Amino acid sequence: MDSLKSDEDLVDDILGGIENGFSQLYDRYRRPVYSIAFRIVQNSEDAYDASQEIFIRAYRSLDSFDRRKSRFYSWICRLAANYAIDCWRLRRRRAETQFPEASGSHPLRIPALVDAIRSPHGELENKEKVQEIWRCVDALPELQKKVFVLRYFQELKLEEIAEMENCSLGTVKTSLYRATQTIRRAVKRGGGQS
Amino acid sequence: MKRHAIRHYSEEELLMHILGEEDPEGSAIISAHLEECPECRVILREYRQVLEDIHCWRVDEISEAAWQEQKERLMAFVQNDGKTSFRNFWVRLGGVFSQTWDYAMSHPLPTLGYIAVAVAFASQRTISIFRLDQMLPTTGEVIQVLKLVL
Repeated sequence: MDSLKSDEDLVDDILGGIENGFSQLYDRYRRPVYSIAFRIVQNSEDAYDASQEIFIRAYRSLDSFDRRKSRFYSWICRLAANYAIDCWRLRRRRAETQFPEASGSHPLRIPALVDAIRSPHGELENKEKVQEIWRCVDALPELQKKVFVLRYFQELKLEEIAEMENCSLGTVKTSLYRATQTIRRAVKRGGGQS
Repeated sequence: MKRHAIRHYSEEELLMHILGEEDPEGSAIISAHLEECPECRVILREYRQVLEDIHCWRVDEISEAAWQEQKERLMAFVQNDGKTSFRNFWVRLGGVFSQTWDYAMSHPLPTLGYIAVAVAFASQRTISIFRLDQMLPTTGEVIQVLKLVL
């Protein structure tokens, strides 16, 4: 019966001291959380570590979750995106300190892309386009990056994103449009000229 | 033959149309426009292609063993945290307040009745316990003070 419990019921269980509730929430949301982290930090190891920290933060701030304001899914997605952005910012700052001449581009990570874009069938798919998208997303401003990942990969509604980011729907729409436009232009230019 | 000036839609509007993020009325109007406007159709097609390209971006898979390890670490953390924090007490107390508030919002009249009874009871008890009735000034005393002031 437990497997049929809603997210909100599981949250109540955890707050009431039933630890098994957290285990179920982890099973439900480990992939979306990892997926958000991966697309923002763009590195599987960092994303895996970030996922763990995100769940710890979620557990600690569970009592701030308000079911009247949002779904649990969008709440945890916001948490994941915010933490991943922090990691990304930190990594970028570190890279800029270590390689000041390479700020804005990340030549060191390019070889890692090849593994990341394998399709489930083990074939390389649209390699150059995906590399170009990867570079573009990495260079996007924070809000655009967040909106891009949450809308296209986690399929949150723009209204939900606006609410969680505490900004207007118009701002979110424009951010998503600008991010998509940047990628459209880059893909149009043709990938692979980093 | 004279052609009416066509109002083309912005790229942002077309993107929102693809994503279904506009109101239903707006969606019908844009759909009708797209049937007549080859220029907007080209842009729409380009954005559809971009969205397809974006979804080619897959994440690196994590092995089930790694997920299990992470889960064990997290559960160990949760068990440890549950034993060492007073959080549950406050959370439960918060839950009681929250439920009371919800009840008050959904049953305003009975709630007002309960509050009135509680206030009457409490004030009577307070007056009798602390003998407040003896501390209140008499009418004569109030008049005297007023005379002095005025």
